[in-house]
Amino acid sequence: MNVLPAEEELMVKNAAREFLDAECPPGLARAMEQDERGYSVELWEQMASLGWFGISLPEAYGGGGLPVTYLGLILEECGRAIAPVPFHSTATAALAVVNNGSDEQKQTILPRVARGDLIMTWAVQEQDPRLRADAVQCRGEVDGDSLVINGIKHFVDNFSAAELVVMAVRTAEPTDESAGITLCIVPTNSAGITETRLTTLAKDSQSKIALENVRIPLSNVIGEISQGWPATSEMLDTGTALLCAQIIGAARKDAEMAIEYAKNRVAFGRPLAGFQSIQHLCADMIVAVDGAQLLTYEALWKLDAGLPYSVEVSQAKAFTNDKCQATVRSSQQIHGGIGFMMEFDLHLWYRRVTAWTMRLGTSFEHRARVARSLLAQPGRVRLGMNIEAVA
Amino acid sequence: MEFAFTPEQEALRVEVQQFIAENVTPEIVAELEDTGIRRRGPKTREMYKEIAERGWIGISWPKEYGGQAGSRIDQYIVEEEFARAGITVGGAGSGAPAILAAGTEEQKQEFLPGIIRGEISFALGFTEPQAGADLAGLQCRAVRDGDEYVINGQKMYTTAAHYATHIYLMARTDPDAPRHRGISIFLIPMDTPGITVRPLWTIQNDPPAPLGTTYGDNRTNETFFENVRVPASCLLGEENQGWYVGAMGLNLDRVGASRYLISIQRDEDIVNWVKDNDIEGYAMREDPALRDRLADMWIEGQVCRLMTMRSMSIVETDGNFTYEGSAEKVFAPEHGVRTTETIAQMLGPYGQLLNGSEDAIESGVFAHNLMGAFQSGINHGSVQVMRDQVARRGLGMPRV
Repeated sequence: MNVLPAEEELMVKNAAREFLDAECPPGLARAMEQDERGYSVELWEQMASLGWFGISLPEAYGGGGLPVTYLGLILEECGRAIAPVPFHSTATAALAVVNNGSDEQKQTILPRVARGDLIMTWAVQEQDPRLRADAVQCRGEVDGDSLVINGIKHFVDNFSAAELVVMAVRTAEPTDESAGITLCIVPTNSAGITETRLTTLAKDSQSKIALENVRIPLSNVIGEISQGWPATSEMLDTGTALLCAQIIGAARKDAEMAIEYAKNRVAFGRPLAGFQSIQHLCADMIVAVDGAQLLTYEALWKLDAGLPYSVEVSQAKAFTNDKCQATVRSSQQIHGGIGFMMEFDLHLWYRRVTAWTMRLGTSFEHRARVARSLLAQPGRVRLGMNIEAVA
Repeated sequence: MEFAFTPEQEALRVEVQQFIAENVTPEIVAELEDTGIRRRGPKTREMYKEIAERGWIGISWPKEYGGQAGSRIDQYIVEEEFARAGITVGGAGSGAPAILAAGTEEQKQEFLPGIIRGEISFALGFTEPQAGADLAGLQCRAVRDGDEYVINGQKMYTTAAHYATHIYLMARTDPDAPRHRGISIFLIPMDTPGITVRPLWTIQNDPPAPLGTTYGDNRTNETFFENVRVPASCLLGEENQGWYVGAMGLNLDRVGASRYLISIQRDEDIVNWVKDNDIEGYAMREDPALRDRLADMWIEGQVCRLMTMRSMSIVETDGNFTYEGSAEKVFAPEHGVRTTETIAQMLGPYGQLLNGSEDAIESGVFAHNLMGAFQSGINHGSVQVMRDQVARRGLGMPRV
């Protein structure tokens, strides 16, 4: 038991911070809000050359073979720098291929991801945005050696930048044995896809995707037809843990900006930081982010250790949503009027953290899963015990 | 990072659990519940000897003083398991860590083995009527007179003073120095002439709180010092350095197994109760609003656990955890209050029934917790003072 990051973990994290401090100023995120492509190609290529995209992919497929925790630490730093790159969606989709893809899928996809030659995303949510199998209504039908997809996917990150989307579709009605969901890989340039860009609070890239008779080969199915919900659920859990890392990185930076501002801004004859009301607000912000970070690290560690980690992911996301939102709001409070002026940078973090808290599961959804799993646990429960998630 | 205990540590935990299952008999539970005998009867004393013989007290202390030079994490595991059974094996509150850090060789030999054997225990003599959160304002005086000190003053909330063998006393030795630099610490036998102990009864006095209640003690004390003469060898650390010696002990007192359990035991209790019980067919476990709050409290409880593990990880690697310890001492007590008050709104009128009442749930522990949980935001450094420390020591903000 030593919950502090190890020396090697800190080295990777610090190196990522140094690189991003130098290469990813807030102006880049600001510029990309207006950019048609929505991400910085130059930053993407630099990150690729540092090996970040493959860091936790298997060595056999060109990756670095490190635990997913390392990927989480880098994404935490990307969150801190609000780096405008489609990294999180690519990592989430690529790990779904690692965990459940065929060898052929791994061979064709993973080395390209590791090199930075392939941008990916994922699509599960629909008009009913809850992350559960019965909310997936987008239809897939087997036709010879093809899967034909009809329906609408909502809230898809980085769709226009991505080449492949890992998508959950319904191929059967649910039974006791199966949720009837198939997970598959869909090229974004497939005939029959219409993209509508959404305008988000984060002003990042999210789209609604209409699929009309989109035909993909059956070899693009991840795992078996209609048996894809566990793989989908695993993809969501991994993506959620990584999103938590990104949120806490951004929220901590946001809190630090408020602390710095409080030390310099003079009011009533002294710096704001000299007022106990401000000190206590700042203390609460940092304690909250610390808590979110510990929950997130535990989820990532359990994932890497091969232990059940879904409940830990839900714990982390519910707490991160509520506490990091409160943190960035408090930071706005400390900054006063200047904090909500367009020309000031603070809102770049506020708007992203806020939008991210609503993605990959609300606090209510995640707490419902925690309660469900906890109450179904046989015998007496105890904090810190391993608990199997209940779908 | 590493979020699991080693197989050896898990085995140690099971060993302690087995010891508790075999040795904590109904007679011992009755003694532990009996506030009249200060939760220490003859059978409990016997058991403490066996616990000490197994080497489970002061595991992390050096071997020459009766410890095992083991890890703080092992010690934590043992302390947590016993604390869950209502048994304190921490080794005399703030006394021992400060003696280890600042004591002379003679003091270490005099106190540490005795603490392990359960023959020596300390009451904390810090707070005074006019010095609580602002402890550095204390006025209890110790005046050097040849080879002795003469002590006069009054201490408040000296909780163990009516049964401890010694008091760990903070007194002013230089009234002319800046406040923090004129304080010294003394280790004084309670049977020294001139010491008087008077009871202060807490709101948990009647009926007595069930075992495991957060701050369920029915009694604390005020202790008076009237021309108390003690040898100069009672001084711990250097004269006028007592503030800094005391801070070491207090920091260690704010983290660890009992602090953790104080804040989270009701989280586990309510989930376990709701899982297995309903009230005349009303099953709380099926109510979506209550489930949401249960999960919310459970998640906060996990944060308390992880913050405790963070402090223990820092201690184990010999780091300084001033900021992290204070952060934990903000979050955990306030969580304990939130969960206690949330449970009250889950149980409704059943939540107000005290120990022994008809229809009381779990011996009224949830009701008694409403009188105890908020105390943890006050004792050993209030959450407001802890926030000051987070801001100043953790975030580099100025003293107000």
